[in-house]
Amino acid sequence: MANAAMARSRYLRFDLGLTGTKYGCGEGLCGACTVLVDGQPLRACLATVASVGGGQVTTIEGLADGDVLHPVQQAFLEESAMQCGYCIPGFIMSAVGLLERTPNPSTGQIRDALAENMCRCGTYPRIERAVLRAAGGRE
Amino acid sequence: MTITEASAPEGLVIVGASALGLPLPSTGYARQAYGNVSVDFGPATWLTVGGDGAVTVFAGKVEYGQGIRWGLAIAAAEELGLEPSVISVVLGDTERTPWDIGTFGSQSTRHTGVQVRKAAATARQALIELAAGRLDLPPDQLICRDGRMASMADPGRSVSLGELVAGQSVVREIPEEAPVHAPAEFTVMGGYVRRTDGLQRVTGRAVYAQDVVRPGMLFARVLRPPAYGAHLERLDDGVATRMPGVASVVRDGDLVAVLAESDQQADAAHDLLIADWSERAGQISQWDLPAALAADPHDPVVTQELGDVEAALAKAAHRLEESYYIPYIPAAPMEPRAAVAEWADDRLTVWAGTQRPFGIRGELAQFFGIDEDHVHVIAPEIGGGFGSKSIYRPALEAAQLAKLAGRPVRVAYSRIEEMTWATFRPAALITIRSGFDADGRITAWDSHAIHTTVDRPMIGQRGSESPYAADAIRSIVSAGPAPLRPGSYRSLGCAVNHFARESHIDEIATAIGMDPVEFRLRNLPEPRYRRVLEAAANEFGWKTVSTPSGGGAGVAVGLDVGSYAAECVAIGIEGREIRVERVSASIDCGLVFNPEGVRSQMEGAIMMGLGGALFEAAEFEDGHLLNGSFARYRVPRITQMPEVSVTICGGEENPPTGAGEPGIVPIAPAIANAVFDLQSKRIRELPLQRQLS
Repeated sequence: MANAAMARSRYLRFDLGLTGTKYGCGEGLCGACTVLVDGQPLRACLATVASVGGGQVTTIEGLADGDVLHPVQQAFLEESAMQCGYCIPGFIMSAVGLLERTPNPSTGQIRDALAENMCRCGTYPRIERAVLRAAGGRE
Repeated sequence: MTITEASAPEGLVIVGASALGLPLPSTGYARQAYGNVSVDFGPATWLTVGGDGAVTVFAGKVEYGQGIRWGLAIAAAEELGLEPSVISVVLGDTERTPWDIGTFGSQSTRHTGVQVRKAAATARQALIELAAGRLDLPPDQLICRDGRMASMADPGRSVSLGELVAGQSVVREIPEEAPVHAPAEFTVMGGYVRRTDGLQRVTGRAVYAQDVVRPGMLFARVLRPPAYGAHLERLDDGVATRMPGVASVVRDGDLVAVLAESDQQADAAHDLLIADWSERAGQISQWDLPAALAADPHDPVVTQELGDVEAALAKAAHRLEESYYIPYIPAAPMEPRAAVAEWADDRLTVWAGTQRPFGIRGELAQFFGIDEDHVHVIAPEIGGGFGSKSIYRPALEAAQLAKLAGRPVRVAYSRIEEMTWATFRPAALITIRSGFDADGRITAWDSHAIHTTVDRPMIGQRGSESPYAADAIRSIVSAGPAPLRPGSYRSLGCAVNHFARESHIDEIATAIGMDPVEFRLRNLPEPRYRRVLEAAANEFGWKTVSTPSGGGAGVAVGLDVGSYAAECVAIGIEGREIRVERVSASIDCGLVFNPEGVRSQMEGAIMMGLGGALFEAAEFEDGHLLNGSFARYRVPRITQMPEVSVTICGGEENPPTGAGEPGIVPIAPAIANAVFDLQSKRIRELPLQRQLS
């Protein structure tokens, strides 16, 4: 049923059943639908299926290696960096993208990279600590 | 339903009363607060230990970010000597969990948490008795730890919990005085425990209402009016019905929706509906609301009265009278509400991300004229709500549409629907008249709060009582006109009332040239209040000064859901923006189950409250919401995050009280007070940023 003009987030959620990519606003403003395309964060609600043709798309479901969590997922777990958790997949994907580009970011760089992801529960202090932990763990 | 050993499954079943801590149904407050719901006082199953040793807790609360699954796992783990993460917690399912009034008012730990502890202690007692026979040891020489019951003297002599109950059914009732651990015995409660349901959240496996998909399900897109109160005059669905994937365009009274095989197809066809609406003219717009509230207060309720306030004001050495205005704000949770409904004959199942699964069950049963036992409501994970998801219209919409379509139907709100058609934190206009002497003693306190109200006048009463000593006090709460639909919100009414009171208290301190912390300490008789204030001020490094000092420090205190909180903030100005740099918060919520959960809730409440304090407000004109999208509605981002510290005061000497809400209570007045300290400008209207730029 997917067609080229369909939003990538809808394709992922309902055609592929990968509901870890969330709907928050449909306008690319909240970051809940963030996925990685060739390692870089993309708002899946704005991208059409065709626009990322040929790129490698990674969703939250594809981040862990079997039962072994990605270091960013592990760090979010260890810091209890979540409340309702709805925004968390998007934050994790944005953070993974950041650490690909900048393996040891400053808090300023973390905040800039995550400024377009919203968390209404206000878990920002823990999210920042989790990203710092994940970065530290890579050294 | 009575649970007997004959009907129970294999293992140990702990049963007890439900409807905990509920005001008696006969009281007007319960009816006003909760609506016309049927209450089931139990007994219900609270905890089971299966033949495989698996421990499962059942509670009618829902998880919407407050971490109740985490907290209940800790409570049960404490009593059973287990790792919290091995305990399963089943929540918010009308066929599986004890009846519950709804998840609001920070009652989950106070009532449900206490009941789960008792259930687990009852289970431990039963398991000890079984093990004593099995191991041939006296009960007082047994210890329950890590899933086994062992001899204290010889830990090798042990039996697993599963082995103790396998092949039999044992039912025990929670006694009045269950043998819960004393605080001195705690091994789990009060310590650091990582979130127990985090794995599902970091892997994307947690299923929210927006994620529920059923076989054969149709996707609905509901036609919404362009304005509040608009009436549909004419509908042309000729094009929409012929669009690909469209099953039908249905109309059931006021409910009009496109049903299609996919989300995208439903949206595309919905955009081709041609509707003519007649709008209701003359609705109150945002800029008219303060005057409208002042002009039309009704149903006044006196919430506090001491002495003759008019006489005390007349003879006061100094007097002050000021009004404060707090606008409507939407809760704007990350997950817009969604529901999936499925009928099988005359039985209805609804997945809905609501705080009131049992209440919604009652509403559905009433609407369709069927028995409540024929309605099953399941609350999956909920992507935030902050109180607003008590009223949950998509559950009914999905059920109506599914009945008409004869297939399961999903109604999922878009962002703009969530912002426009959910409820708003009520706006309020609050006028305070005070009298005081030059020594810093309050002699008279007269407060009149007018909260936008439709049908629940008590929403403005919470937190309206002043905790400050005075010779005469009067607090009146009235209802006022409500152009937008008011609904619950974190610390409903209470945070709003505190904004006025805690701002005014600072104004008195300024008038007499006294440090605002010192002034509060002098006038707060309650020791728990003074203790949280001293803790926050110490942590902050508060320096005694009279305001305005130019330093940008502010303080406020609050009491909500039985818990005391204080916050000191340091602010600066960046360009024309207020920047909150540091918050030192403290809370006394009695006995703490989960300190990490308390800290997380305080941080979150502060972050959320920052938005309402600085820049959030619903904008509306003549029935139209003007800022119903994230492009037009600003909320706090990680870049606005201050450095936050949380001090937990008090503890076991008081019973557990709420921690999810008190953090939002002091933050707005503390920031307003800091703005005055920095800029000598007293702002009496939220959001503060709008009054500065």
